[in-house]
Amino acid sequence: MPGGIIFEFPELFLTGLWLTIQISVLGLIGAIVLGTLVALARVSPIVPLRWIGGAYVEFFRNTPLIVQLFFLFLGLGSLGFRFSSDTFESIFRAAATGMALYHGAYVAEVVRGGLLGVDRGQIEAARSLGLSYLQMVQYVQLPQTFRSVIPPLGNIAIALVKNTSLASTIGVAELLYAAEIVESRTFRAEEAFIAATMLFLLLTIPLGILVNALERRLLVVR
Amino acid sequence: MRPDTWPMFADPAIWGFFFEGVRETIYISLVSVALSFVVGLAFALGRLSRKPWIRWPSILYIEGVRALPVLLLIVYFGIKGSALFRPIFGPDFDLPRFWAGVLGLSMYTSAVLAEIIRAGIVSLPRGQTEAARALGLSHAHTMRSVILPQALRLMVPAMMSQLTTVIKDTSLVGTIGVFELLKQGRTIYTQFFNPIEVLLIVLTIYFIICFALSQASRRLELGRAPREARVKMRDIELRDQAA
Repeated sequence: MPGGIIFEFPELFLTGLWLTIQISVLGLIGAIVLGTLVALARVSPIVPLRWIGGAYVEFFRNTPLIVQLFFLFLGLGSLGFRFSSDTFESIFRAAATGMALYHGAYVAEVVRGGLLGVDRGQIEAARSLGLSYLQMVQYVQLPQTFRSVIPPLGNIAIALVKNTSLASTIGVAELLYAAEIVESRTFRAEEAFIAATMLFLLLTIPLGILVNALERRLLVVR
Repeated sequence: MRPDTWPMFADPAIWGFFFEGVRETIYISLVSVALSFVVGLAFALGRLSRKPWIRWPSILYIEGVRALPVLLLIVYFGIKGSALFRPIFGPDFDLPRFWAGVLGLSMYTSAVLAEIIRAGIVSLPRGQTEAARALGLSHAHTMRSVILPQALRLMVPAMMSQLTTVIKDTSLVGTIGVFELLKQGRTIYTQFFNPIEVLLIVLTIYFIICFALSQASRRLELGRAPREARVKMRDIELRDQAA
């Protein structure tokens, strides 16, 4: 039976699955917070903020995530910087930070699109009613952005779950790494990777169905 | 960042080493994109086919592959002494690293390109097909001479941005032993213990290549794709950018 090897090493695969989920969730929360802040910076009236936001987005979108992870873990490590005194914790945090930074750039683009989609007349009306810039953002611009950004954020979440596999290259024992350990113990490489494949599909296919459903719903309403 | 680690970069041999990596990265990207385009086109047409025994396997391939991490596919093809190709190439066959990388990248990219091409095809007005068929063209001839030239033209910017993704993804084939840019960099810093300097240089090189390409694809406007196609393109870009 394909994937039967999961039941021979349940603790390895389940720990892997759990770590994949943890990094995905932490990375996604970080990416949404960071991306929203960067998007606000990019549409703000303060020019240097816009410039920094733009530089951040272009840099993180145009370099490979794996190199960013190496830089965060090995590069900063060589300077003596550690995310935690505990090695395992440190790798884990480096991976989650890397996920948040990389996907934050994509979130920023999506949220920026949503913010720019708000009619200029509303912004002017809110400002002329005496709302400060930040109040206007909080009460007028951001709430209207949510609906249009949810389906694209779902797509970013799927990409993020898949990309957590890169954390294996810096030593986080997520799914792919678990498969590699099983491979080195049993020399049954094909079986181990097919098991990892099935567990990844278990996460990404339901997410994909959910995102498609949301997309259809929100597009009809619009 | 120690001051004594920088003078080594004055040595042209080091830059030659980086250059070899860049060459391998570009080479593997171009081969993968070429292969993916052919396979992707076939699956795009397969998914649009009216025959269910062609359509369903195509949907299964495209959606299944897109749901997987590209690194997993690369590692899978990179298994040393894999039994996957034995039935075709004999018992002693070991897939060369380069081709293992190309297959992993291409399998993923072909599924993405299939979706891009399909989005281009379905965005064309139905009248195009109907007019061609009314003029007596066969289904295949309509596709070849009327639909595909327009659809592919519309999708050139999207395919170029996918090339940027592929170039970023090539950094993953270093994990199975292809000496692309990142792997070359890793070889240097394991020798000289200077990961931060080397990784900064590697990041800069990737950035220059990818930034130039993504700017070019943004500028390129070959006719405006309809709104639905643009939404689809954005979704593909967000979901399938890996690494």
